[in-house]
Order: sequence, then structure tokens, then C-alpha cells
Amino acid sequence: MQELLPNLMRRLPEFWKACGDTLLMEVWSGAIIFVFGLIFGIILTVTKPGGIMENKFLYQVLDKIINLFRSIPFIILLTALMPLSRFIMGTAIYVRGVIVPLVFGATPFFSRQIESALAQTDKGLVEAALSMGSSPFEVIFRVYLRESLAPIIRAITITIISLLGLTAMAGAVGAGGLGDFAIRYGHDRNMIDITWVVVIVLVLGVSLVQWLGEYFARKNTH
Amino acid sequence: MIELLHVSKNFGVDIHAVNDVSLTINNGDIYGIIGFSGAGKSTLVRCINLLERPDSGQVIIDGVDMMKLKPKELYKARTKIGMIFQQFNLMPSRTVLGNIAYPLKNMTREQINSRVKDLLSLVEIPDKINAYPSELSGGQKQRVAIARALANDPNILLCDEATSALDPQTTGSILQLLKDLNKKLGLTIVVITHEMEVVKQICRKAAVMDAGKIIESGDVFEIFSNPQHQVTKNFVRTTSNLSKIETLIRDDSPMVKLKPGELMARLVYIHADVSEPLISYASRAFDIEINIILADVEIVAGAMVGGTVVIFNGPRERINQAIEYYKSKDIRVEVIADAGITA
Repeated sequence: MQELLPNLMRRLPEFWKACGDTLLMEVWSGAIIFVFGLIFGIILTVTKPGGIMENKFLYQVLDKIINLFRSIPFIILLTALMPLSRFIMGTAIYVRGVIVPLVFGATPFFSRQIESALAQTDKGLVEAALSMGSSPFEVIFRVYLRESLAPIIRAITITIISLLGLTAMAGAVGAGGLGDFAIRYGHDRNMIDITWVVVIVLVLGVSLVQWLGEYFARKNTH
Repeated sequence: MIELLHVSKNFGVDIHAVNDVSLTINNGDIYGIIGFSGAGKSTLVRCINLLERPDSGQVIIDGVDMMKLKPKELYKARTKIGMIFQQFNLMPSRTVLGNIAYPLKNMTREQINSRVKDLLSLVEIPDKINAYPSELSGGQKQRVAIARALANDPNILLCDEATSALDPQTTGSILQLLKDLNKKLGLTIVVITHEMEVVKQICRKAAVMDAGKIIESGDVFEIFSNPQHQVTKNFVRTTSNLSKIETLIRDDSPMVKLKPGELMARLVYIHADVSEPLISYASRAFDIEINIILADVEIVAGAMVGGTVVIFNGPRERINQAIEYYKSKDIRVEVIADAGITA
């Protein structure tokens, strides 16, 4: 081990901390993104023209905001949101400081994912539910969310994976984590073994998430 | 009772899906609304439970003005108006039990279970309770959908092309089930269809829709035996054997080649009681030959509907007497081809 990964073995505690930091960013921002993205995705679905709570104004505003944030490259968002981050979280660096840009960066993506997952719900099911006396809110929870569970799980999977990419980028502006670890040692000091190990850890992480997502999605498909 | 008064529904500026429709459907009726696709019948039936809110007009069900209900009252009212669909619209992530239990509220698990079991035996598939919709045949899916629509004991059942995705045999069994439910539960059934066959099998009354308007309505027997509007005539023709005569003539079939002096006519029964031996009587009484080329007589709403295509052969004045005799018996005589008077 010492011979194979000399640089990594000397920095093992730092490596474990980087793994922990990445996980921390992923979990914290992921939880917030999940809540907001789900809400926005639902709002987009029900307020769009022909939706069960059609509302042109709300739909247009949300639609445009999401497009706006999706067109800003994440690396720019990272620096542009520093003041906001300082205001909300008290700092613009380390894990705490990067939650805000991660949320702004991935929520629009996840909202669109949820929107397209819910769009797969057969219109006929919504109509049937309404004909049985369901209120629009009931339709959201008992039809849209319930019947698109499998595509929603897939949307979550994709978002977690793309979020992992964003956390690595966040490393570049002092967020810590695996991305930061790989850049500082693997790239800047040319410690190839560190780059490789980080890549392997990320591949394993992505594979695990993908496998779990696929497993649960399939379990909910009849 | 379902009353639609001057109901109109537009999509966009110039698509009048439903255009000033007034309609009364009595309790316990099986009422057919028939029209070609795009005639507006699906929109019209959705105006009954306000899945489509009319732009103008009134929808009154058992004396209640549906358009004036508050949202919560409307949701409640809808539980008393069941609806089934062409594509069944069962929820694929739920079992049969879950689907039928969907509209049931404020019930314990045991109550739900026993209610679902009762409903399943009503629609004659008691052993499918734990199946997923993907494991059922089309006919079984529609039976589950019917059970679900009946879960809250509605007074009305709306059927939107409910048999259009099914094969003829299954269609027959579903229609029979609807007929039984109408009798057993006193259910008012509104049947939307583009198939005259369906109306013929179960409806007592019907309306014909075209371009958003009702162009003809009344007893199914009346509509079948004496269609007024061209669209209605086309519909009636689609189900009648007698329309084959046109194909035979077009194809120049030897069957319909007339000899000099012969006359080919369509005899259509308009009256409900065709019990006399009309052909053989006329043949004997006027001493002419009457050759039946095609015949199609059916029972619609308990009465005979149909007619025959015949070729008369004999002296012209006696043929004319026979035709006069038929007319006096309320039989419509349409001359299809005439080979002229024998020299």
C-alpha cells in the first residue's frame, strides 16, 4: 500500500475528512434541493396550461427563473453567490459556504427532472381521480407523486450524481471535499495516485447510487 | 335527472366543441350519445361532472345547479357520478384492491376490504383482488374500472367510449353487465360511443351529435327506423346489412342485374309491429314475384327494425299496387333501380 499509494497513505486522515466533507455537502444540499425541487416541479406540473391548477403567471415566472439559473455556469454561480452565502450561512467557504450555491445550482435541474417525471403520469389517471371526487391536492399526492414514484426515484438518482460533480467543482473555491483534495494534491502537486484514488472513490459512489436508484425504481414498477 | 341547458364549451376562439346543447336524461335511463370522432361528445359528457366547465349554460343534476357548487361541494357531488373510460385509467402502481379503494374514504381497513369484495362480485371477477392492472385483460380492466366507479354508490354512470378498446365479444359482455347494473341498482347510464352497435344493444334513448350540436334525439327505435338527419342515416347505415346493396350495384354483381320490367326497391320497416307476412302476402295478392336479395331485421329497444331489398317482377300496375299496399302498412319503399316497363 505504501509503495502503491505513497502520497495518499501519508495523507490518510486528510483523505477521510475529504470523503466526509463531500458526503456532508451531498447530504445537506441534497436534502434542501429535494424539498425545493419537488415543490417547484409539482408547481410547474399543475400550473402549466391544461394543468389541474392552471396559473399562467406563476408558471411563467417559475419557468423563467429556472431557465435563468440553469443557464448560468456553476463556476460563475459559485462566486456570484458568495455575498448571499455570507448573509445566509455566515461564511462563503468550506462546506457551510458552498451549500447555498449548490442549492441554487442543482434545484433548477432537479425541478425540471421532477417536472418531466410527473409529466409521465397518464392524463387519464388524473381525469379518473378528479371524476372520483379528488381535490387537486389529493391528485398531487395520491396520483402524481404515487404513480410516478419510479421516474421520481430515477430523477433523484441523476440529481445526486450530477450534484457530486458540482461538489467537486465547489472544491475549487475552498469548499473542501474530494474535488478539492484531488485538485490540490493530484493536480497541483502531480500526485497521480491521489487523482486515481479519488476517481475510483467517485466511480464507486456513482455506481452505488445508480444501482440503488435502479433497484428501488424497478421495485416500484408494476 | 340530468339536465343540460344551452351548454356551450369552446376551446380557443373558434373551436366550438359543444355548441348550445340542451338535453334531459331521466333517472334509470340508459342514454346513448353517438357521433363520429370530433363531434364533441366526449367534451359534452365531461360537462356533466364538470371535468370540463361549460363556458355558458347550466348543468343541473337532481335539481342541483352543478356550476354553482363550491369546490368542496363539487368534489362531493362527483363521488355520486361514476365515470369509466376507453383506456380504463386504472392506476398501474396499485392492485385491484388499491384501485377500487381509491375513492373510498372514512372507512376502516375491514370495511374497505368487504366493500371491495362486494363490488368485485358485482362485476363478476371476485378472484382478482390482489392482481395488478397489468395482469388483467381488457375486459377485466374495464370491470375493475366499473367497480371503482360504483364504489361510492353513485346514481349516475358516465361511460366515455367504454367499449371502444375491446373486442366485440368482450364489448358484448361489458354491455350486458351495464344493462344488469342499470336494472339491479337503478343506475342512470350515459353512454358515449361512435358505434351504433353499442347504442342498439343497450340504449333506450339516444342523441346524435355532430359538430358540437345535437342533431337528433329520442327513442332509439325512432332513430333507427326513421333517421331524419344525413349523419344519423350514415350511422344507421353502418350497422345495417342493407347498405351492402350499394356495394353490389357498384361492383356490378349479377345478383342485382335487372331484367326488363323488373324493379328493385328497399323496404324499410318504420313501425314497431311487423308481424304480418308482408312479402308472401303481396306476392299472392297481386300475383307478382318478389325476390329477396338482402334482408336485415333486428330487435332494437325491444322492437323490430330493418328491412329488405327486393326485386319485383310482374306487370307494372300490379307492382305499383304492391308498393301502395306496403306504404299503407307504414313501410318505407325506396326504389333503387328500375329496368323500365316491359314491352
